[in-house]
Amino acid sequence: MHVLPILFGALFTLATAWSLGMLLLRNLAPSFDAWERRLLAFIAGSACLSEIMFALSAAKLVHRGVLLAVGLASIGYAAYSGALRSPGKAFEPLGLLWRWVFIAVFAGLTWYAFFNALAPEHSSDGMAYHLSEVSIYQHAHGFPRITNDVYANLSQGIELLYLFAFDFGRHSAAALVHYAFLIALVFLVLSYGRRIGRPAVGVAGAIFTYTCPVVLRDATTAYIDVALAAVLFALFYLLQVWDESRDPKLIVPIGILAGFGYAVKYTAFLALPYAVGFVVWKLWRARKPLLGPVLVIGLSAAVMILPWMLKDWIEVANPFAPLANRVFPNPYAHISWEDEWRSYLSTYGLHSRWQIPLEATVKGGQLEGFLGPSFLLTPLALLALRFREGRQLLLAGLVLGSTYFSNVGTRFLIPVVPFISVALALAVANLPWLLLALVAANVITCWPAVYGRYCTPGAWQIYELPVKAALRLQSEDAYLSRDPDYNIVRMMGRVVPPGGRIFAIGQNGTSYLPRELLIGYRSAANEVMQDILLTPLVRDYQPALSLKFDFPAREFRKLRVVQKGSEPEDQWSMAELRIFEGPNELPRDPGWRLTAHPNPWEVQMAFDNSPVTRWRSWQPASPGMYVEVDFPRPQPASSVTVEASDEMVNTKIRLEGMGMDGQWSTVSDHPVISAHPILSSLRMAAIAELKTRGIQYVLIHPGDFGADDFLRYPAAWGLRLAGEENGTRLYRIR
Amino acid sequence: MFLIRAACLLLCVLCLAACDRLPQSYPPPEQRQPVAGFNPGPDAMMVSMEDSDADPVIVKDIYPGTGIPWRWTKQEPTVKVLVFSTESVKFSADFAIWDDSFKTTGPLEISFLVNGKLLDKIRYTTPGKKHFEKPVPADWLAGNTEATVALSVDKLYIAPRSGDEYGVILSRLGLKP
Repeated sequence: MHVLPILFGALFTLATAWSLGMLLLRNLAPSFDAWERRLLAFIAGSACLSEIMFALSAAKLVHRGVLLAVGLASIGYAAYSGALRSPGKAFEPLGLLWRWVFIAVFAGLTWYAFFNALAPEHSSDGMAYHLSEVSIYQHAHGFPRITNDVYANLSQGIELLYLFAFDFGRHSAAALVHYAFLIALVFLVLSYGRRIGRPAVGVAGAIFTYTCPVVLRDATTAYIDVALAAVLFALFYLLQVWDESRDPKLIVPIGILAGFGYAVKYTAFLALPYAVGFVVWKLWRARKPLLGPVLVIGLSAAVMILPWMLKDWIEVANPFAPLANRVFPNPYAHISWEDEWRSYLSTYGLHSRWQIPLEATVKGGQLEGFLGPSFLLTPLALLALRFREGRQLLLAGLVLGSTYFSNVGTRFLIPVVPFISVALALAVANLPWLLLALVAANVITCWPAVYGRYCTPGAWQIYELPVKAALRLQSEDAYLSRDPDYNIVRMMGRVVPPGGRIFAIGQNGTSYLPRELLIGYRSAANEVMQDILLTPLVRDYQPALSLKFDFPAREFRKLRVVQKGSEPEDQWSMAELRIFEGPNELPRDPGWRLTAHPNPWEVQMAFDNSPVTRWRSWQPASPGMYVEVDFPRPQPASSVTVEASDEMVNTKIRLEGMGMDGQWSTVSDHPVISAHPILSSLRMAAIAELKTRGIQYVLIHPGDFGADDFLRYPAAWGLRLAGEENGTRLYRIR
Repeated sequence: MFLIRAACLLLCVLCLAACDRLPQSYPPPEQRQPVAGFNPGPDAMMVSMEDSDADPVIVKDIYPGTGIPWRWTKQEPTVKVLVFSTESVKFSADFAIWDDSFKTTGPLEISFLVNGKLLDKIRYTTPGKKHFEKPVPADWLAGNTEATVALSVDKLYIAPRSGDEYGVILSRLGLKP
């Protein structure tokens, strides 16, 4: 990839978004300064372009020619209609001191940031899913139905902009688009300060935001957090302008941005209630009609939100996928996975939330990035409450940041960084020397060459100036090969032929992998495969217990095994359920109907005669859960055997039957339990199950559970080593 | 207004079309048969020194392979094997005692160990190729677990120049069904 296509991909995307935004805002000239209109147009236009890309993706029309046509038509029509002209009053020029402070800091950091954004993209999440999904969409010319990757079910408003850029300039074009959001955000913050008549506050706020290490790092990758911050600050900005002007035409872009927040990232769902609440409060106090503006905001937002909900509803039966699986149970994401995911994200392994302030501002090791020591002064921002603007900023920051504790990664504070930055500057605005000192201290401590001295080694940060790699004077491959994940996916790309399917317990870097890789934790089906793969290695997974219910022979319409226990920490599982008439097991009649509660979709695994598959509740065991067989005709039976793993929860069961009268009754409450340890190897059976699920390759990292066993006994698994990269082994299923 | 109504109607129809209720009950699936090759071959529990994959199962006292079908050992060459069955399993070892080292060490007494338990001890009074095979009591092994299989050589040959220690020349070591 050369530089020109990358720059073209990014600039063409930005120009298209900006043109669409200028068209949207063209009738709102009196409300804006010329520059803030341009900036807000870019953000609003990005929402429009994202929506267009959603429609194109849904229609599988993502072809380069179509994208060129959309871009050229948008730019051409905007130019033709005069929308690109930006009339309106201009702010007073910045004072000399603050102007040069801003120029110096902005130019210095842009030197770092631009080349990092232009360098080959190799961020963790960017490679793992943001661009990985984009790459899949580009290949499929739109949305394929993806049910084996929960990340594909998140809203992807910014990723669709990346898709536009990616088609021309691949990974780095996407990262440059993200970086453009940071530029827009910084200038929006600057403009806000000028709008409220405090240009020094604008400059300081813009510098606090731009120098923030996690912001700068995030913006130079194909993440989406800084874009979200720009969208939310633009929403705040529009609401402030509307509050001044009460221009009803602003209501539509306000609704669009409120909805776009959700489309960018679920955690911004509060943008809509915030916008509606703001408008309702202001109109109510002014005794003005509420219904019309609220409806317009709601409808505009719905246009941005509903497509994502519909997509998820259609594809994975859950409009809020991959969350809310208890409310919308589905076969594609396990409740236990969601519980564990939420649990981890709420702590990141921290012992106490009191560690967050220092971790998020100075150290950055565990929370994956740091804001800079200046943000330890955040409580000082409360002094801004004495100003109306300060109250507005802090209210917005509080509302939009209130979802932070659902994911305590430092990145999830990025959306509130601009609000805190401006509020902090506003708090000391009446002491210009102090503000200047704060800015100077902030710039020094947050300069890339300095913060490596105090942050935790390895914390997410900009740590180099990759000019050669950015300009492609060094090959992408050479630059990226410093990343172990990249080398592994390259190895897989070499070894696995097109169409090959790989299973891995974990792996990043997949945006560079032109093969299908199913990762253990990323969907219900993948978790089942991981469970199967580990069963030969984990005795607690193996069906070593037999629980037999004996009872006088009689006829049943249905039989079910019911869970009696309540185990908040344990799941109920069942490897096999066998029904006997006398000494003989009943053959499993194709007319039987099997079901289970919960998780009916995996019930067949309790009836497949395989020792490595099992039905699991995939949520804590609770009384009333059951596995049921519905017979097509009255079925005599005299005993039922459950084969399960050796866990206490699996023994707390009873057998219920439905007789000819249609009534359920307890058939037996006390199974006879016997132990039958598995003495034969289940390895080949496990691999055979993966094979029936279409897997041809298995990737094992040295740190994966059981990696040594694969290393020592590949033949026992029925595997043959196909490739190796730095200890990570790719096995082909024989 | 007409367009809005039409759009609403179309949206409703699309939504209804999307409502494909997931099945809640299923017929029994295809029944799995025991996988052929659960015990993959007579040599599945043997470790061959010419095999490049032997390294991961070598526990100690075996020199790295050099592409030839044997390796020098030190005092207690030990490998791990995965036990597929416990009935009628035999300890099996193919090794050689080097003529030149034998001149220095004289007869060697070699112990044969399974999971640290002494299976047999034999005194070899001549150099050359040797084969040892003896049934392992079933209760010494557990199915589907790893077992350690080892030789223990009583005397070592010390190379005069390097000072390196050498036991026997090992070709294959492990268990046979």
